Amino acid sequence: MELGCPIAPTQRLIQEVADHREDLKQAALAEGLSGADAEARANAQLGDPLALAEELMAALRRSSWWGRHFVVTFCLLPLLAVPVLWFVLLLFQLSLVFTLGFGWDPKNLHAAAADPVAFRHLVIVIQCADSISIALATLLFCWLARRAAVNFKWMVTACTICSLYALFVQASIKPHTFEVGLSWTPQWIEAAIPLLIAGAIYLSRRRTMQRFLEKIAV
Amino acid sequence: MAAMKKTNPSFLNGVPELLVLRLLAAREMYGYQIVEEIRTRTGEALAFGEGCIYPYLHYLEAEKQVSSRRREVEGRNRNYYKLTARGRKRLEALTTEWNRVTTGVALLMGVQHA
Repeated sequence: MELGCPIAPTQRLIQEVADHREDLKQAALAEGLSGADAEARANAQLGDPLALAEELMAALRRSSWWGRHFVVTFCLLPLLAVPVLWFVLLLFQLSLVFTLGFGWDPKNLHAAAADPVAFRHLVIVIQCADSISIALATLLFCWLARRAAVNFKWMVTACTICSLYALFVQASIKPHTFEVGLSWTPQWIEAAIPLLIAGAIYLSRRRTMQRFLEKIAV
Repeated sequence: MAAMKKTNPSFLNGVPELLVLRLLAAREMYGYQIVEEIRTRTGEALAFGEGCIYPYLHYLEAEKQVSSRRREVEGRNRNYYKLTARGRKRLEALTTEWNRVTTGVALLMGVQHA
């Protein structure tokens, strides 16, 4: 689990290896070995538990595209996923705002830009699209990291890329003007979102791991 | 030559897969049984690392080539694995490939021995 292995497959592996060990021990006892010798032989035959955990991780990684191409997935895809999600969310929210409020007539759009209250709604829409898309992209890559059983550092890498993206890429809206691009004015709040999510997931994993180790010890 | 370089290593990697799928095609088995069967039925020429079978079985399950269920037999609870339809297709493909390679190797060895 320290390696970043998901809990369910780890629990199953432990259960199966324990069953296997018992079978090996029974076979050794049947050959006439003493209890202690049978256990020692079973342990030696099973090999190093850490090597087994690494094998499990490698097997899980091999079974998904994300795991086989983890550099592309966790270093490059966040740069694509954030703007795509942002655009989809923006379209969704704008459709909602215009369907509910103004309709799709361009004249109404200009009217909305001129009206301070309506314009404030548009600003909120843009800000929400920014924050929600960053949070969704971060959660997506955290989930992928877990599913692909990659090392924790790859999840942190994806979160850091999302954070840097949020820090410098900005969408701004002024009456009759909408701009998207790089900005040297950092957006600290948006940039903090991926880091907070990564921190929360790390703490949650630590707690789950501790509980799991306590359960095994019992 | 380039095609051989590309094909043969992946085929050799497929040998453990072929063995496991072949055994599971006959009946549902658990990890210890699979390891023992491979050892005894190959005259101890081939052997899986005792614990290594499980990450491999988990991989085959993630690939949907095998499925598993917890089952109690003679008072022992174990995970039993069986072949799926996709696993059966994969087994057919690997068997065909195996026959092609062994035929080729046998022909070559025959020529060399002659």
